[in-house]
Amino acid sequence: MLDEIGAGSADSTARLGWTGLVRFLHLAPRAFLPMRAMEQLVLVAGQGIEGDRYMIGREEGYYSHKPEEGRQVTLFELETLIALKRDAGIELGPEEHRRNVTVEGVPLNHLVGRRFWLGETLLEATRLSIPCRHIEEITGKAIFDPLINRSGLNCRILQGGIVRVGDTVRNAA
Amino acid sequence: MSVRPITTIKTVVAGIEGAGAGIKVFTLADPDRWALPPFKPGAHIDLHLPNGLVRTYSLCNEPADNSRYVIAVKREADGRGGSRALHDEVGIGDVIGVSLPRGGLEPGADIARHVFVAGGIGVTPFLSMARHLLQIGNADFVLHLIVREEVPLAAHLAPLMEAGRVVVHRTSCAGRPDLASLVGEVGVQTMVACCGPEGMTEEFEGVTAAWPAANVHIERFVAPPPVIDPDAKPFVLSLARTGTEIPVRAGQTMLAALQEGGIDVSTSCCGGICGACKVGWIEGKPVHRDRVLSPYERERFLMICVAGSDADRLVLDL
Ligand code: FES
Repeated sequence: MLDEIGAGSADSTARLGWTGLVRFLHLAPRAFLPMRAMEQLVLVAGQGIEGDRYMIGREEGYYSHKPEEGRQVTLFELETLIALKRDAGIELGPEEHRRNVTVEGVPLNHLVGRRFWLGETLLEATRLSIPCRHIEEITGKAIFDPLINRSGLNCRILQGGIVRVGDTVRNAA
Repeated sequence: MSVRPITTIKTVVAGIEGAGAGIKVFTLADPDRWALPPFKPGAHIDLHLPNGLVRTYSLCNEPADNSRYVIAVKREADGRGGSRALHDEVGIGDVIGVSLPRGGLEPGADIARHVFVAGGIGVTPFLSMARHLLQIGNADFVLHLIVREEVPLAAHLAPLMEAGRVVVHRTSCAGRPDLASLVGEVGVQTMVACCGPEGMTEEFEGVTAAWPAANVHIERFVAPPPVIDPDAKPFVLSLARTGTEIPVRAGQTMLAALQEGGIDVSTSCCGGICGACKVGWIEGKPVHRDRVLSPYERERFLMICVAGSDADRLVLDL
């Protein structure tokens, strides 16, 4: 049925349209370490983010024992942080969700399987991120449940480059 | 590539200095001097020593100083081996895995006065606390330090000494001080805390028995066992394919028990929602706490990251 109405096709997503912004960029070189805010990140096609724990070949992340091509860069919605505060009274900062890129105005959950531009880089969304108990241990905040189904997006880097705070995010369909 | 999950923070030994009275101070830092996970005053960390021992030490530096974990270790010749390994075997540049910091006290807003009572090396949990109070300009605190003769960690105590916050009691000349008089009158706005040898903490417990529990803090050298759900019971996991038996302690997850037993299991969320750790079960009474399996699936499968057991034995298809 969904196929018949063309739901979620590249065509419909492009037609309905959205553009968003890169609001925060973060990385950490090793598991458990605090994420550091950056003005820009260097994305390497097929590899990951320079200096980040999940960069292929570096393997210093909490999940590095389970290599995954589609986790080269991870995104998170600023709107989720706002909703956590509004609906659950939880103050979570963009450095605490442990994804690399915090975007605004980008419907991450709609993008699985699609390509989009993050500044000058081209990404392909591979799957939704799932929350992890480990984040409660690191942040000391009970955020596992509230993050179910809005825990961000895992992506593969098709075309590398430099991503800066303030860059535009847009559909590549 | 590492196959085992990374479960500790990687640090390198960036400094070792003698601090008197058989004590060495170790400074641990990130290999690239990245900030380390934050901690509260008086918090402690586990060190995973190169020889396989895991030992807990109080952090001595201030929480604001987030690029280092500083611990002070007294060499106990007849101890359980942790301090000897650190003193005799660990050198600058060695890699040591540490846990996330735990515990510690956030100075409460309604607490006006702090009294710390420390015996010898028991001063370590109060160093970060007292320096934190000094730094935030808290007016009213005192650290009673009971030593035989030599003051441990003199250099680290210096700023507190200069500020007139330390009272040293030397038992070699004055005998043991009366803890009751050090602690003083019960006060709801006073927080009293003690760390020292067993005899001292017991005496302290006695003299503060009438105090509100929230105003008394006792730090023991041997970390108390973790708080576990009083209803949790230990059980045994029996792995049908290999015949291995793995004990699960009360309150421990099956996942942790299997990992401890060297069994590789795949996991991801560790919270019962992703399905990565699904395993078949054959016999027993599993307690399902996941949010992914249907009632039908639960008759055959369970999620080892969250499931428990209602019977003494649970047989898994592993
Ligand atoms: S690890 Fe996700 S359900 Fe167990």
